[in-house]
Amino acid sequence: MSETGAIKANIAIAAEEAGAPSTNPWRRWEASMLGAGSIALLLLAWELVPYVFTISPGTKLFFTTPSQIAGTLWKMFATGTIWAPLGVSASGFALGLGLAIVVGLPLGVLLGRWRTLNAMADPFITAFNATPRLVFLPLVLLWFGLGLWSKVIIVFIGALFPILINTYEGVRNADKTLINVVRSFGAGEWAVARLVVLPNSLPYVVAGLRLGIGRAVLGVVVAEFFGSEEGLGVLMVQASGRYQVDVVFAGLIIFATLSLLMTGLVKLLEDRLSRWRPQRTAD
Amino acid sequence: MQAYIEGRNINLTFRPPNRGPVRALRGFDIDIGEGEFLSIVGPSGCGKSTFLNVLLGLLRPDSGELTMRGRRIAGPGSDRAMVFQEFGLLPWRTVQNNVELGLELKGVAAVARRKISARLIEMVGLIGFETHYPHELSGGMKQRVGLARALATDPDVLLMDEPFAALDAQTRDLMQVELLHIWQAARKTVLFVTHQIDEAIYLSDRIMVMTKRPGRAKKIFAVDLPRPRDYEMRVTPRFNDLKLEIWHTLKDEISV
Amino acid sequence: MAHAEGRNLGLVEAEDGAGRQSFVERHRQLLLGCLAVALFFAAWQAVFLVVPFNPLFISKPSLIAKALLDLIASGQLLDDLRVSAIPFFYGFTAAIVVGVAVGIVMGWRARVGYALDPLMTALYASPLVALAPLLVVFFGVGVAGKAIIIFSLAVFPFVFNAYAGVRAVDPLLINVVRSLGGSEMNLYLKVILPSTLPYIVAGARLAVGRALVGVLVAEFFAASEGIGYAIARFGDLYALDRMFACILTVMVIAVALTEAVRWAERAAFPWRSGQ
Repeated sequence: MSETGAIKANIAIAAEEAGAPSTNPWRRWEASMLGAGSIALLLLAWELVPYVFTISPGTKLFFTTPSQIAGTLWKMFATGTIWAPLGVSASGFALGLGLAIVVGLPLGVLLGRWRTLNAMADPFITAFNATPRLVFLPLVLLWFGLGLWSKVIIVFIGALFPILINTYEGVRNADKTLINVVRSFGAGEWAVARLVVLPNSLPYVVAGLRLGIGRAVLGVVVAEFFGSEEGLGVLMVQASGRYQVDVVFAGLIIFATLSLLMTGLVKLLEDRLSRWRPQRTAD
Repeated sequence: MQAYIEGRNINLTFRPPNRGPVRALRGFDIDIGEGEFLSIVGPSGCGKSTFLNVLLGLLRPDSGELTMRGRRIAGPGSDRAMVFQEFGLLPWRTVQNNVELGLELKGVAAVARRKISARLIEMVGLIGFETHYPHELSGGMKQRVGLARALATDPDVLLMDEPFAALDAQTRDLMQVELLHIWQAARKTVLFVTHQIDEAIYLSDRIMVMTKRPGRAKKIFAVDLPRPRDYEMRVTPRFNDLKLEIWHTLKDEISV
Repeated sequence: MAHAEGRNLGLVEAEDGAGRQSFVERHRQLLLGCLAVALFFAAWQAVFLVVPFNPLFISKPSLIAKALLDLIASGQLLDDLRVSAIPFFYGFTAAIVVGVAVGIVMGWRARVGYALDPLMTALYASPLVALAPLLVVFFGVGVAGKAIIIFSLAVFPFVFNAYAGVRAVDPLLINVVRSLGGSEMNLYLKVILPSTLPYIVAGARLAVGRALVGVLVAEFFAASEGIGYAIARFGDLYALDRMFACILTVMVIAVALTEAVRWAERAAFPWRSGQ
């Protein structure tokens, strides 16, 4: 296929995604088959490496196979050893994210409605949003010590900004014409907020929540790497020190699955709340 | 004797941030009779939409008098309703809930709201689309919703801000015919802002041509075509004479 | 609330003041921001007139400024920054080259896109930073180890943005260039590349943040130099003034990098009205 041919194919695909039914059954499944196939192929190749190449003893220390990882994962859940560290990680995650929502939502609304405050807060928000929150970790550890609260704070400052900024954008971007429409029917400030500003900002807020969850998971991981004595992240660091590569990957898979699961749930909520929108917007 | 709606010497200047002030209206006078269909045509940015927003009660003039039935306009009221150029439908509300918006804000009970909206949805020909969202409708259908919403609160005056400008030519023609039907049945006072001279002549009792910004009335034309009007009227000599006359009045105000 | 200022707010922005606007009014946003920052540091400094000052727990702006000057004068800060900047440069450059190439191929070749999309999505969504300890143990914390961590975090925004950019090329423009007799080469140079570039630069903005995370994670772990190491060590030494000085330096660099990309976006693509 020539490269322009591929672009045409992509355009055709775009049309297909837009709802035009496809006549060819292979075309309909092509995308998912290729996607699943490439992942399967990768796993298979990885699994076969030790059979094809001789691995030096030094490298062997760092080597694992998908089947080993799967076995380790199975053992973790079968013996139940995973639940205690997972619970520790989950509580840090939930507290931090909850705090970020409780603080981020009202603050976002306030900043969206009050220009002066917004102008004054802007340099701080820009600075904190651009800086990797990780840089504060040593300071947070110094202030809160090893353990739960350091983790909560790291998760909190990670998740706060996407939620705050999205809420603020949603509130600020309320359509001026719609505000006029509602005002022309005699609506006061409160009715404008209820009828226009709130529905307009809801999809933004949920999108912020989705980003916030990703950041929160990241926060749990790094906080546990450096500032915790228990949790899934601690398990992973200890495993890397002992060259238990399969355990590291098992931990990564658990974190990734939880992250995907939660963002998936929020995505569902997002789609439900956005039924009135012409199409889903990419982020 | 005071007119139904009377505006005297209205002045309004916008002061947008980071830019110089803009004089939108200067010494603007207007008289509108009860039940009259008055159109305003004028060059882009001449302040016609600004005046509609003043009459609607969303903008307050810097000086001047604007009264309706002898009472000063002090803010939005349910005796006036606007049909917006870009429809202004709340995208997260269905057709029915959009039509009921004004009633809801007036505190009308849900059952009564349903009855009124059902009648208006029928009137604008949208039966079967009650639970559709705006993005699922064509432009013409959206503006029918806009019209139904404005009529739902049973206002005395209907303000229309280039309501058909975003529609294609055929849809616009059809909407004009329907608007005349509705107007004749409901006997509202209509203030209609448009760019299109044809549209203004076809619909109106009188046409006000405005000067360029800062806007005021340049000349008022009475449209002496008989009613009910039909499409064929647009090719009569009288129609074309009037169109030419208005065009000559307007063209000096337009700068390209 | 600002909305109380006037009922006209919905139609015109604000109705404050009359006539011509002064310097203060035109730059209100910026001035308020500067004022807030100045107030913040002033309040930080002043609060210890009331609250007892514990240098093992907190520092104050005057001490931080002095520590910053010391670190600059001794050359220590610049040394640490240089140590961190070199792997950042290598990792980030590799991320651009590999990420853009993979993304463009995914966009041009529909089947490659299908095949790689789920894999890339899974990798992008998983907290890859979790592999950092392993990478550190394997590659060490020299230039190579850090660069690999930075690369693995920064590559995905480039992949996905280049991919999205190619897919977003307006088919109409392709037809326009074709109908005017443009060759395949013209198509790439005049349509696909200009359409995709803004996406790639937007990806760079995301990638900068992730790359900085990579630097810090690697250096927190087991390094003996670098800005991340400096922060961690000053923390261990309870040298809060120097620690804050380093943290502020990182913040300034992060903002500068992000704003530089933003500026590049505006300067290079004036036809985009910003998103």
